[in-house]
Amino acid sequence: MTAEVSELRELRASVREFLEAKSPEEAVRKLMESEPRFDLDVWAQAADQLRLPGLAIPEEYGGDGFGPVELGVVMEEMGRALLCSPFFATVVLAAQALLASGDSDACARHLPGIASGRTTATLAVAEDSGSWDPALISARAVPDGDGGWRLNGRKCFVIDGTTADLILVVARTVAGPSFFAVDRTAPGVTAVAMETLDATRAMARLTFDSVAATPVGAEGSGGRIMARVLDMASVGLAAEQAGGARRCLEMSAEYARTRHQFGRPIGSFQAVKHKCADMLVQVELAEASAREAARLADEGAADFPVAAAVAHACCSRAYMFAAMENIQVHGGIGFTWEHPAHLYFRRAKSSQLLFGGPAVYHERLLDRLGI
Amino acid sequence: MDQEMQDFAAEARRFLDAHATKAPDRAAVTWGVGDDSMAYFSSLPPEEEAEEVRRARAWQRTRHENGFGWITGPPEYGGRGLTPVHDLLYDAVESEYAVPDTGVLGVVGLGMIGPTILAHAQPHIKECWLPAMYRGDAIACQLFSEPGAGSDLASVATRAVREGAEWVLDGQKVWTSVAQHSEIGIALTRTDPDAPKHRGITAFLVPMDAPGVEVRPLRQMTGGADFNEVFLTDVRIPDDHRLGEVDGGWTVALTTLMNERNTVGSEGAGPVAAALSPEHLSALMRATWTWDDRALRGRLAELLVDAMATGYLNDRAQRTLRAGIAPGPERSVSKLMYGQNLTRAAHFVSDCLGPRIIADTGQWGTYAWSELLLATPALRILGGTEEIMKNILAERVLGLPKEPVTTAAKEVRS
Repeated sequence: MTAEVSELRELRASVREFLEAKSPEEAVRKLMESEPRFDLDVWAQAADQLRLPGLAIPEEYGGDGFGPVELGVVMEEMGRALLCSPFFATVVLAAQALLASGDSDACARHLPGIASGRTTATLAVAEDSGSWDPALISARAVPDGDGGWRLNGRKCFVIDGTTADLILVVARTVAGPSFFAVDRTAPGVTAVAMETLDATRAMARLTFDSVAATPVGAEGSGGRIMARVLDMASVGLAAEQAGGARRCLEMSAEYARTRHQFGRPIGSFQAVKHKCADMLVQVELAEASAREAARLADEGAADFPVAAAVAHACCSRAYMFAAMENIQVHGGIGFTWEHPAHLYFRRAKSSQLLFGGPAVYHERLLDRLGI
Repeated sequence: MDQEMQDFAAEARRFLDAHATKAPDRAAVTWGVGDDSMAYFSSLPPEEEAEEVRRARAWQRTRHENGFGWITGPPEYGGRGLTPVHDLLYDAVESEYAVPDTGVLGVVGLGMIGPTILAHAQPHIKECWLPAMYRGDAIACQLFSEPGAGSDLASVATRAVREGAEWVLDGQKVWTSVAQHSEIGIALTRTDPDAPKHRGITAFLVPMDAPGVEVRPLRQMTGGADFNEVFLTDVRIPDDHRLGEVDGGWTVALTTLMNERNTVGSEGAGPVAAALSPEHLSALMRATWTWDDRALRGRLAELLVDAMATGYLNDRAQRTLRAGIAPGPERSVSKLMYGQNLTRAAHFVSDCLGPRIIADTGQWGTYAWSELLLATPALRILGGTEEIMKNILAERVLGLPKEPVTTAAKEVRS
């Protein structure tokens, strides 16, 4: 189901209004030094008033059944506002993994809680190297002899790993990489917060010591599910990046119009003007690629994986560029702790490298193109 | 798409099925097979070029006879009276067919000069020239740029002096595309040297066979001659050939330039499509044994990201337009990216080819790329330099202030 243009505009307006009220800069700054790193009340309001967690979850699992296009609008707005929330890990990573697994039991068990906002969740893939390559996974799951499974190993870079109620873990079995659901409070789970470049996105190192785990999807199907999740997650992330990049451009243009030096607005100097124009070009390309990829995902188009890879690379670069240039346009003031420019810079760099970074996603694009 | 649009598309398809064949997919490549030309600008011998122009005129006539020659034009001058959306739709349908390249007629004449004549000429001039242009009989050129006025068009110095019912034009124009094939041109001239520079300009329709008009080809760095210098020496033009008001030529120029933005920056076919095609570029990497080169693979990915993102931007602009919403800054962004993408592609390919692009080994698909490589600097200049495009984006989209004109600059210009 895809909303009409006017409905999308309405969705964007209501999410923006909500975030302007609930996630102003002061709130972001306070939360990024708190534990948990999100506001429980705001999360509950996002769920109850705007029904955001359930937006893109099928109606049969308690959601509103919208698709990647609407999800993209929400992610763009969250990226603009640098919202500290479990939305990305819960709705974009974990819920998409459950849906991609095709495991209707697991979906029926977990998705209604996610859709209502009562359950937060995350995906634990990367280990010490940070790689999402299934071949590099060393965590193991073995049958416990009573029909259950036991999980052992260590995961890093797990977003919201100290707070998520449900953890979907990719672990190796004799059949290959497989998905497992783990309750974070299960005996044997240890979660330690990691110090992060981007303090607005909490990450943890998780240790699993013979933890009871429930398979999600067919044993050995982890590689296929991960490929699908990575496509969906990179489009979600791309939208967030496009939103952040747009905000950096707006900050720069506003400053360039109003800040005077040598008796005239700095935006009238061609060097500054062209910096802003270069940012605009990147932002326009980023928005187009993120929105087009979401549209193709919605249509189930065959070239969606290619578009997802393009959006991932394009938006990663655009956000990093806009975040860097934003500081330059602001000059010294942009380098201070008090100015928000560094918050965007941190988010941009962290997001650019989240799923492996340019060398990895460039090869993924070539792979999806058959090159 | 609504029923009317569907009917229009079906009508276009019927016309094209009857008069053309389906285009081969130029992006798909079998290495070593077919034409390997990568010429962006023409470098044909004169007789072949004349033949191309003849084919372009003939195809335009066929289009016109079947109602697709001037889709947006008013019916009284031979147009179809439909919307720009119909025009785009027709282009999209036609792009699936192999038809003669009508760029010699279209890019400047039908795209920019036609709308300018329609907006500013006297009725009998419109009746005389507009049907002829859209029938393919009259090619038009733009006598705007001068050696002393590049992007700063308001600095034109070609003089027009009134003598009774006539004007006498003297001066030199440059960078004039298709002047050697043109029947008419629109000239910007200085009619009041004492007025502020935008206010003393008048525009004229110049028959290119008028005594005193001399077209000299200007050889460019690719070796070919797509542009010309045009010398105007005591050229006498009747006053009814004036476009717009006396000293009001800047308005006329703006009409042309606004339409220029609509013609430049669309994705081309032919060599341009090949240069940005994943299939073509990967075939080239295999043929040059650079398939495994990690650095080149990274550059290929970056190049494709830009090319494909630009494509998505264009697709979205088209869809927005079809939905009846005015496009945003996409066209200026596309135009900038168009030049940069092709430039990057040409240099990527050069680095795959290595020495094979510095001298011709006779191998298929190697030295041929030198033609595109040599064309790329022009792509960042023509239709508005990159700097001008960036100024437009920053000022019109982001609302940044214009650069103040300093006293020193005023003195230099006056």
